[in-house]
Amino acid sequence: MTSPASVASPSLAALSAAAAAAGLTVSASASWPETGTDGEVTPLAGFIESNFSPLLAQVAERALRSRAQPQAPGKVTAIVMVTALGDVTSATCVAAAVDAGKRVSPLLFFQSVPNAVAGYLAARWQLTGPVVCVSGTRAGMDVAALLIDDADADEVLVVRVDLAVTEGDRDCAAAIVLTGPAHGELHRTA
Amino acid sequence: MTDALVLPPAPAARRGTGSVVVTGAAAASAYGRGTEALVSGVLSGRPAFAPVQRFDVSGRRVGFAAAMPGLPELLTEVTRAAGQACDDAGLSPSDRARSPLFLAIHGDPAIARAPEADKPGHGPEAFTAAVAGDCGLAQEGIRCYTSACVAASTAIADAAAIVARGHADRVVVAGGYLVDCDQFALFDAGRVLADDGQVRPFSTGRRGLLLGDGVGAVVIESGESARARRAPPLARLAGWGRTGDAYHPVQPHPEGHGMARAVTAAMQRAGIAAEDLGYINAHGSGTGQSDPAEANALRLALGDAVERVPVSSTKSLHGQSLEASGVLELIVTLLAARKGMLPVNAGFLGTDDRCHLNLVLGEALAVTAEFAMSLNAAFGGANTALVIGLP
Repeated sequence: MTSPASVASPSLAALSAAAAAAGLTVSASASWPETGTDGEVTPLAGFIESNFSPLLAQVAERALRSRAQPQAPGKVTAIVMVTALGDVTSATCVAAAVDAGKRVSPLLFFQSVPNAVAGYLAARWQLTGPVVCVSGTRAGMDVAALLIDDADADEVLVVRVDLAVTEGDRDCAAAIVLTGPAHGELHRTA
Repeated sequence: MTDALVLPPAPAARRGTGSVVVTGAAAASAYGRGTEALVSGVLSGRPAFAPVQRFDVSGRRVGFAAAMPGLPELLTEVTRAAGQACDDAGLSPSDRARSPLFLAIHGDPAIARAPEADKPGHGPEAFTAAVAGDCGLAQEGIRCYTSACVAASTAIADAAAIVARGHADRVVVAGGYLVDCDQFALFDAGRVLADDGQVRPFSTGRRGLLLGDGVGAVVIESGESARARRAPPLARLAGWGRTGDAYHPVQPHPEGHGMARAVTAAMQRAGIAAEDLGYINAHGSGTGQSDPAEANALRLALGDAVERVPVSSTKSLHGQSLEASGVLELIVTLLAARKGMLPVNAGFLGTDDRCHLNLVLGEALAVTAEFAMSLNAAFGGANTALVIGLP
């Protein structure tokens, strides 16, 4: 399901490799930016200052839309978010306001944790599985595999977002939709 | 009205066949350091809230929290708790070296003010690796959970699932939140802090939540491994469930569908019926929307047994510890069950018709609870339920 354009994404390559290592089946994937098509991140209503939540929503919806068929009614999709530093833009913004004695926007309260944008996605796409955020791709894939093994989810949307932190970096993100192996239960060592 | 609620069908939860036990625990809160300080504090029934001294709150709408004295540091406190939990479990240096750490935190507190070039060195994984290193725990397999108020409970559920399936003999799960000026400013801006200085879960006149220091660590281990080490379990981790509401970015499903499914999954994995539960430590944030949603969830999942099972939210005593809530409250639940004394749901003013539960009111309740449940919920509609059983 991986398009030629998205193969260039290191985030997506890492997610795909980790999924294969975990024995999971990739049913859809997407990345941001995709070659030649992505400039600015599309704003997301209710989220301000930072690209973290808009980018997470955008790449996740791109992957969900590219599924060959939508999740069947009654089936459960979990959301696993992976991010090395989290929404460092929002955190820096809040700290600057606090240090300057300025008012902090209430909207920053809602987006202060990654769960809020997961809730946005879950409501729009009826994803009724667990919502988890971890710091590494390997951990995210292990969580996804476990949720499928234990019937907490039939399908897992794994999204990785990394905001640009230093000069010359660029925001990047990838999303992958996973199911268990075609036959039987996963067998791994920890 | 709640009698008409129907829980949508959900697949039966599976689990590995191995038994899972808790062999060590450690905690710190506004009641002091150590599990004894925590349990005696919550069983005293006296809330730990006081005016905030740790940072300037003069510009804030609310100025209360449950905080330890002084300026504790997260890395120090979490490392101390994780190490103490390992000591409590009687883990040898070689046991520790084979045990991964799952840590639940908001993040490295230093990242927001670090110079741009230094920020990449302040990620949650580096923080977790530092704690693991200082405690002599394995570096391989460490994880950091940042899923808001279900971070620690999700980490515990994952650790239990891994151990039950035999993928690991043991996982150390720790969590930590210390009341800080940035989160305080955010919660104040969100107008969710209780301006009367008390948290009143499920009560009329509730005004919101208050933040509280919370640090906790538990050693989650296979029953077989504990027996081989002759380590007496504090409790069995009998069941666990985690679900999503699919309803709203920051509001719970008003009928509690997601949390009800988490409760049901945890009971399925524990192999118990609602009648077997002797205590529920509720999420009980003390906010307007969350408490009725949770009461509906419990009615959906437990049926008529909801009239009998004692419920309290100890956030009314030690405050809301955000990412650490799940581990702190599991330890409270576990210690209360072991003592046969259930903590009160403090701050109660009167019955809210939307929150009919069998609340523990007035003073701690002496009861034998063979099975007890700890519930947590978070933004994004995330829900968790953990069931412990006395060994």
